[in-house]
Amino acid sequence: MKVKIPRPRGLLTPLIAVVVVLALFPVIGVSRSWILYLFLFFIYLSMANMWNLLAGYSGLVSLCPAAFIGLAGYTLAIGTWFDLPWYLGVIAGGLVAAVFAALVSFPVFRLKGIYFAIGTLVLPEVLRFVFTIWAPIGEPVYGGGAGYTVKGIADVSGSHTYWLALAIAAASIFLMRYVLRSKLGSGLAAIRDNESTAASSGVNVFNLKLSSFVIAAFITGIAGAIFYVYQGFIEPMSAFSVRWLVIIMLATVIGGEGTEEGPVLGSIVVVVLYFLLARYAEISLIIQGSILVGIMLLAPQGIMGFIRKTRPYLYLLELATRRRGKSS
Amino acid sequence: MDLLSDLATPVVMGIMLGGLYAVIALGLSLVFGVIKEINIAHGDLVILGSYFGYVAMTVFGIDPILSLVIGMPILFGIGFAIQKYLLNRAFKISMDATLIIAFGLSLILQNVYQLIWTPMARGLTTPYALESFSAGPIHVPLVYLLDFLAAILVMLFLQQFLKRTYLGRAIRAAAQDRKTAHLMGINTDRVYAYTFAISMALAAVAGIFLGLTFSFTPISGMSFLIIALGVVVLGGMGSIVGTFVGGIAFGLAQTLGGYFFGVAAQMLVAYVMVLVVLAVIPRGIFGR
Repeated sequence: MKVKIPRPRGLLTPLIAVVVVLALFPVIGVSRSWILYLFLFFIYLSMANMWNLLAGYSGLVSLCPAAFIGLAGYTLAIGTWFDLPWYLGVIAGGLVAAVFAALVSFPVFRLKGIYFAIGTLVLPEVLRFVFTIWAPIGEPVYGGGAGYTVKGIADVSGSHTYWLALAIAAASIFLMRYVLRSKLGSGLAAIRDNESTAASSGVNVFNLKLSSFVIAAFITGIAGAIFYVYQGFIEPMSAFSVRWLVIIMLATVIGGEGTEEGPVLGSIVVVVLYFLLARYAEISLIIQGSILVGIMLLAPQGIMGFIRKTRPYLYLLELATRRRGKSS
Repeated sequence: MDLLSDLATPVVMGIMLGGLYAVIALGLSLVFGVIKEINIAHGDLVILGSYFGYVAMTVFGIDPILSLVIGMPILFGIGFAIQKYLLNRAFKISMDATLIIAFGLSLILQNVYQLIWTPMARGLTTPYALESFSAGPIHVPLVYLLDFLAAILVMLFLQQFLKRTYLGRAIRAAAQDRKTAHLMGINTDRVYAYTFAISMALAAVAGIFLGLTFSFTPISGMSFLIIALGVVVLGGMGSIVGTFVGGIAFGLAQTLGGYFFGVAAQMLVAYVMVLVVLAVIPRGIFGR
């Protein structure tokens, strides 16, 4: 099913240029609503990239990004109640999500394929119950089902969260490029295509899966924590909600699962949909669901899969790879 | 002695509640065992059964359990169509495709329920829904007993069906080896559609008894799906007896967890048990 397609190499310089231009947006006075659109785009992009790393490149269809996001958000919020500065809270959030991923990997990696999906689906549900009951501080007004406000973020402006989101999105893109071209990436692809063959060729299946799972948890967690710095408030129903999974899955599947550019295109579509559908809130789930079903039936490789079959793309790709091919 | 008589009620309730969970999980287990696909929309389709009973009761004044005579064929038809026109095609693309399509279906269904029946919580309140019976120290609501009886009936019926009828044998053959079954002249695509249709008829039964026991909202499907997955994982995928045992284990964990750690923690106890079982015996108690 998976066709090997040559990837354009290089392109690092234009990527950095785009990031620099985007970073200047708040300074040159781009409107607030555009900053918000882009902020959400960056957050979704980082999460979708990490989901793509797991589902598209490692064969781990994980249904638990909400667990990482919620945990990181709660670490941040509760941390600030214990006088932890918020920027340390964001990093702590990512670390807690990563540690959680490492801990649960022992039971869930014993599960193959579809069993893995089920095992991970249970995780956010368990955490939601934990955080509905557990209130370490601030009772009786805060904690439990009521959630927490994030303290000490009075001087954090929209531009700050925008830059943070941009940084994590750029980091996730560079990370994907690095991981996929490293030994880890080839090992993961081998596991995805045939786990037992990979194992018998000397690929350490457990370790590689663990690394990709922990990396994904860390980045997803940081992106989630940044989102909660922006939102300033967290409560268990939305933090561990299946909505996160809907957004991330839509972004990856629309763009093209298992392609590097896919999540970028998919996240743009998701953000546009999000604001278009605000007017049709009562049928937004019908539209999103139909898109998932339609894309999967008509173009299982998503937008990128479709573009890659068209002539101009193949032509451009040939140009890019030929030039690079000579120099290396 | 006091502890024992105190424990009697949660134990009996847990076992009977387990019967309900087993019925909810049975369709999921059947589809997994035969088609090897996880129907993420199963919970929402069970809720469709509940809403059907709700309409039958409030609009036509028919008793929910009697309404199954019409409800089961309707859901049977819907299930046949879903598998034939959506999932059979997805199945040929990839494993992830069926998962994602079922997920999309689940979103669509939730939204449709919200449009038709509003987000308010509904329940099937029949005259007998509020009655309970006592035997010695045990006090159990009548509907729990009905749940358990329904579970046993459905289970026996399904087992005999798979054992004795031609279609049942074809389903088992396709479950064991799709290609060989195909070579033996079985139209596996159609067998899959029938399997999904039967799973939906089971979902209709599950929906009615769920509605009698609990109240439900348009988004309840997801939590019952997760319960059903827990049950199926406990018992082992694709085994009828396993699903029944898994259901009872889950029900007991819930009621006993509620007894020892408080009602707020009862589901948590059950889920933690599922995770522990997954870690120790990944294929479940009766898994192959």
